[in-house]
Amino acid sequence: MRTHLTVMLTVLGFVGLIAPAAAHHGFETEYDNDKVISASGVVSKIEWTNPHMHVYVDVTDAAGKLTTYNLELTSPNAIQRLGWNKNDLVAGEKVTFKAHAGKVVESRAALDSLVKANAPKQEIFKGQRPEDLGSN
Amino acid sequence: MKKMFVLSAAVIGTIVLLLVHLQAQQRGQGAPAAGQTGGRGANANEIVVGQLAGRPVIQPVRRGVDYRDAISPTDPAMNGPVPRLPDGHPDLTGPWEGGGSDNDMGVEGGLKEGELDSLLLPAARKLKEERSKAIYGEPYIYCLPMSVPRINPYPWKFVMGYTSKGLQYVYQLHETGDAGAHRVIYMDGRRHPDPATLIASWWGHSVGRWEGDTLVIDTVGYNDKFWFDAPGTPHSEKLHTVERWTRISYGTLVNDFTLEDPDTFSKPVQLRFVARIVKPGVELMEYICAENNQIGLAGGYLGKSDASQIGIGGGPVLKDEKK
Repeated sequence: MRTHLTVMLTVLGFVGLIAPAAAHHGFETEYDNDKVISASGVVSKIEWTNPHMHVYVDVTDAAGKLTTYNLELTSPNAIQRLGWNKNDLVAGEKVTFKAHAGKVVESRAALDSLVKANAPKQEIFKGQRPEDLGSN
Repeated sequence: MKKMFVLSAAVIGTIVLLLVHLQAQQRGQGAPAAGQTGGRGANANEIVVGQLAGRPVIQPVRRGVDYRDAISPTDPAMNGPVPRLPDGHPDLTGPWEGGGSDNDMGVEGGLKEGELDSLLLPAARKLKEERSKAIYGEPYIYCLPMSVPRINPYPWKFVMGYTSKGLQYVYQLHETGDAGAHRVIYMDGRRHPDPATLIASWWGHSVGRWEGDTLVIDTVGYNDKFWFDAPGTPHSEKLHTVERWTRISYGTLVNDFTLEDPDTFSKPVQLRFVARIVKPGVELMEYICAENNQIGLAGGYLGKSDASQIGIGGGPVLKDEKK
């Protein structure tokens, strides 16, 4: 089945997975807060690397053109502390993601949300803990 | 006439008493009485977590990336007793979160907005303005050390280095931000080397001593490359810092920080930072920052070749990149 690409330009509040890095790495310098890519594709690679994790997703558009999206997350340590590990997403899985486009290289994007095709309600690599919600 | 005077005095007295009472109530809402902990500080984002030298210790309450792995400042465990080492000194190990500068050293250290900048000498102020305008000028984002007094939003710890001679070293380790280096604080009584022979370095030369329960760290020999905070508050190689680390309870470690730099600031600067203990089970993890640093590539500021020139990974450039 051919993967389907939809690119939407949407104004959204920024609640991306890359937030922990924003203070140091200038999110708004690098990424377009107003340009949100929404696409479906197949995970080709996951890098549990420093300083930040990257998930690569191959997306084929209606004309058959393939684009590999390089999605930046926060540090692998922060993701692990949320309880995720390397078995939670692997190459070959079909996913749908939303991400903020890179200002110059659009396919280098800051991941906002990612779900698997077979579990569309479960966001991968995200979690909300009490202190993130402001209880302290 | 006399009755009128007495009546007026009574009315005025009542009004004065009422005003005093109202003022006391307002004070009570703003700051807890001496010795009281757990109350709110001067604003809703601060909380009083203890006392040090008769002054309340204020813990900033931040959300999100800051203190994300620390226990809540309202957790009763915060006020537990200070753990002690076998030799009786307080155990400063941690791990901790916070306790240093990051986004604005002056404000984070307890000064008013802009107060720190007002102490910058003209050349230093100009340098900071240039740095603030620069895109990706900060050494830290290229995985270079952040140095003192910076603490980024990840756990860090002191490692108390005992040998057969007792406590000879204290090491300060950061999960991130130290670029894999370790900061060593000599506790063996040695002095700083002759300034004429000292080669400037990222972490400088640190000697430590106990003053009662306070670990005092004196450091000279810094290079001028690292930034005190993200906007680029600068310093020179004449920087001299004194950190006074006091664990006032199980959950709180205070860093009273003095910096002197006659080439940068018009007078010594006194700041206070507060670190919070992490939750049980949180340990420092491996973090090799230079492994896959793709900073600047999405925004088109650095190409792979630029990144390689300054010694960072740069990350893969994909043949199917969409521009």
